Amino acid sequence: MASSHTGRGVALLSPAMLVMVATLAAPLLALIVMSFWTQQGFTIDRSFTLANYWKLIEPGPGVSWMGIHFPLSYPIPAILLLKSLVMSLVATIVVIGVAYPMAYFLAFRVTRNKAMWIILLTIPFWTSYLLRVFSWKIVLGYNGAINSGLMAAGIIDKPLEFLLYNPLAVMITLAHSWIAFAVLPIYVSLEKIDRSLLEAASDLGDSRWKRFRRITLPLSMPGTITATLLVFIPTVGDYVTPSLVGGTGGTMIGSLVQQLFLKQDNAPLGAAVSLVTLLIIAVLVVIFLWAIGYRRIRSRVNG
Amino acid sequence: MSRRFDLLTVYAVVFVIFLYGPMLLMPLFSLNQANFATFPIEGLTLKHYGEMAQNTSMITALKNSLLLGIGVSVTATALGLPAAMAFTRHRVPGSAGLLSFIMLPLVVPSIVLGVALLVILLRVLGVPLSLWTVAAGHLMLCIPFGMTVLMSRLEGFDRSLEEASGDLGATRWSTFRRITLPLAMPGVISSLLLCFIISFDEFVISFFLTGTQNTLPVFLYSQLRFPNRLPGTLALGTLILLGSAILVILAEVLRRRGTPSSNPGEL
Amino acid sequence: MQRIKFIDKLSQGKISRRQMLASAGAFGVGVTVLPRFSAAQGAPLTALEWGGYDVADYIEPYVAKHGGLPNFSIFSGEEEALAKVRAGFAADVMHPCNYSVGRFVSAGLVKDIDPARLSNWPDVFPALKQAEGVLMDGRIVMAPADWGNSSIAYRSDLIDPSFAAEPTWGIFYDPAYEGKVSMLDNELVIQIGAMVAGMSYDEAYKLEGDALQKAAQEWGTKGVNTSRFLWTDASELQQAMASGEIVAAYAWNDLVKNLRAEGVPVEYAQPKEGFFTWFCGLTLLNTGQADEQLAYDFVDAWLSPETGKVLIEQSGYGHANAKSFEVANPEDVAAMGITNPVEMMAQAIMFRNPTDAQQVEQTRVWNDIKALKI
Repeated sequence: MASSHTGRGVALLSPAMLVMVATLAAPLLALIVMSFWTQQGFTIDRSFTLANYWKLIEPGPGVSWMGIHFPLSYPIPAILLLKSLVMSLVATIVVIGVAYPMAYFLAFRVTRNKAMWIILLTIPFWTSYLLRVFSWKIVLGYNGAINSGLMAAGIIDKPLEFLLYNPLAVMITLAHSWIAFAVLPIYVSLEKIDRSLLEAASDLGDSRWKRFRRITLPLSMPGTITATLLVFIPTVGDYVTPSLVGGTGGTMIGSLVQQLFLKQDNAPLGAAVSLVTLLIIAVLVVIFLWAIGYRRIRSRVNG
Repeated sequence: MSRRFDLLTVYAVVFVIFLYGPMLLMPLFSLNQANFATFPIEGLTLKHYGEMAQNTSMITALKNSLLLGIGVSVTATALGLPAAMAFTRHRVPGSAGLLSFIMLPLVVPSIVLGVALLVILLRVLGVPLSLWTVAAGHLMLCIPFGMTVLMSRLEGFDRSLEEASGDLGATRWSTFRRITLPLAMPGVISSLLLCFIISFDEFVISFFLTGTQNTLPVFLYSQLRFPNRLPGTLALGTLILLGSAILVILAEVLRRRGTPSSNPGEL
Repeated sequence: MQRIKFIDKLSQGKISRRQMLASAGAFGVGVTVLPRFSAAQGAPLTALEWGGYDVADYIEPYVAKHGGLPNFSIFSGEEEALAKVRAGFAADVMHPCNYSVGRFVSAGLVKDIDPARLSNWPDVFPALKQAEGVLMDGRIVMAPADWGNSSIAYRSDLIDPSFAAEPTWGIFYDPAYEGKVSMLDNELVIQIGAMVAGMSYDEAYKLEGDALQKAAQEWGTKGVNTSRFLWTDASELQQAMASGEIVAAYAWNDLVKNLRAEGVPVEYAQPKEGFFTWFCGLTLLNTGQADEQLAYDFVDAWLSPETGKVLIEQSGYGHANAKSFEVANPEDVAAMGITNPVEMMAQAIMFRNPTDAQQVEQTRVWNDIKALKI
């Protein structure tokens, strides 16, 4: 019985796995191997070395950045990694915070045309990323919607310049870009909560808040965790949004990787930076899942 | 929708404004006389729509992207659903490792994926570039998103229904079709939508894996060098918004005509 | 309205066959009428081209001769295009610029051009034929096609009159202009900074080692801190300049032409440290599979005065063929600000190419400086 169960599991998984192995295995292997090579100009030296990794942690005089001292001889990757992680973390918290109530609304207040509602939530994303970012620039820009509106209302007499080209603008734009990736998974897991559980709780005299905290929130955890990961992981590597609306400070770890591969003729170092980033994200994800007790949640949700 | 107008409803309204507000500036400035988008509006014109209609590259790119988006989202969901079932319903040896592997495209920089896939396709396999190669790249990006959304849907469903169906003599396929699929439906739709967005918006992998058939993002990025083309692209964005809104409304009207739903809350 | 105008133009015979086809193509019928390549010769020509240049306007003679467009693969940045070709993408011809062609040559992807096979070569401006980037170690590696200037564009209504009286690149490093100007996102920020400090361009373009570090620490940092944003695409810049968000920027001729056409008061300065000439052109790649003659026809078409006329009138860039300036609409030539191309090129500083090692070092140092900004 158990083995046929396993057999079916493997059978169901294998088509997707096959595609992933076919498309992902080789690039990943290339990335790993590459990180142990070196590059001079356009020629790659294929002798094994740990130099790229050493370069990332080699002690040196270092610099201070945001009041933190980085005692490294090449502190740029460490600084950018920290900056990207913090940015992505804050953006994820904002996105989840904004998305949860909307998902809740969709799951519990919308009783008809749910499919239409969730499609409506994604339509803005069918217009292409560049055009969306451009629209935000019009909203936040110097003669943009907010500034023109405030000036017309006589609240300010000079456009506010702090709206665009800074981390705040990056945060707003990121939140807007990723919101669908958070609302949908949370909605999907809220939607399956058995309404009779909630009714039972209120029959037992639980207040709305208590009901939410004891039943809704725990049962929606799988979706919320999925949403957190789907937003946090890709935004760490995103460099296009920061470069478009972040102003001169928009450099992120993803920009460094892109530079190393394309312009600085140092793909091996780029590979090492990518892998270190990957490992750090993996460790953070494991810590996150452990901290919120993912196993416990899974077993509770699965009854 | 419930008739209760409370804080949550107000929130939903604000949310929709946040989502759509910036988008609505696109139609506005696509009608603007000037070639740049700043207030005040200088005067209204349809000339940018004419420019757009004459831009065959843009229209072809849009067609390609739509085709890709639909194909990739359907395939990724079709592959992601059984995979999600495997992870949530069955015992899979080494599932934690396999799951992490599938999630990797989220972490590996897309430039690495793009260049590596290109080298393999051209140098190792000798496959000429086409929309199919782009589709393969997009599929890899989309499966992790689709699968995790489906997993969060399937996680925690009562298995007794499926077991009962099996006990009653239903084949696996009919159990899947009558019980599992309807249960998974919100997840399936979410997965389709997310995958479509990803494919429709992806630039780096598309750039490297496309031959002479451009996708919309590849086209749009290349237009940035020519500022006067901007209003034309805004016109295109407007038409996409309008087109998709009309599609959704149409589908809704058709659906209502077809089956007068007596089952509120059902998807 | 547009449709009425279209029909109107059509009835007056003002619409060319190409425009007709283009409009028809929008409805999905054009593709069959206009073949993508001529089937007569073996492999079709594959051109790696800037998106926007992938239309018949810029290669009319080629279309006339071969009855259709080549295969276009479009790019938006030369580095990505280089990576694509290096990975094995088979393109016959590519459209790099003076600052990027050297990378293609170093990567061993470029075939020399035989000017005898280009009918329009004799009309190309001599200054361009001699420029670094066209000639490399005595070989002709690129046929110059589109060119222009890089200087400071400023809003004459918003800028401090003292700047207009004596324009200088110094404003991009001047705290008084913090958040009001925009430089190109490029290591040029360091080079031009060094020029503001008195170094000649011939020294500044090949800065390396400690001197580069020192210049970067001072001028790179100042440049990053002063600009509101470092621009990477011209659309972004035009938008910010039009709204008055920035009052001065490193800019090409087309920006000035475009903004003036919209009635925005913009001037193109001649800074005391000098202004620059850039150019782009066509390079033959050895990865191609098409008949070489097709590639030469493509390059020759780009050098033709007809193409030059379209380029000047529509894009606001100069063209390498001297005759183009005679056939183009004089108003458009004036709007672009290049009425006397030969004199213009003599006055301006022609961009030069540092060695690969210097180039990479400068890129790295510049990006490291940017990374430290919050």
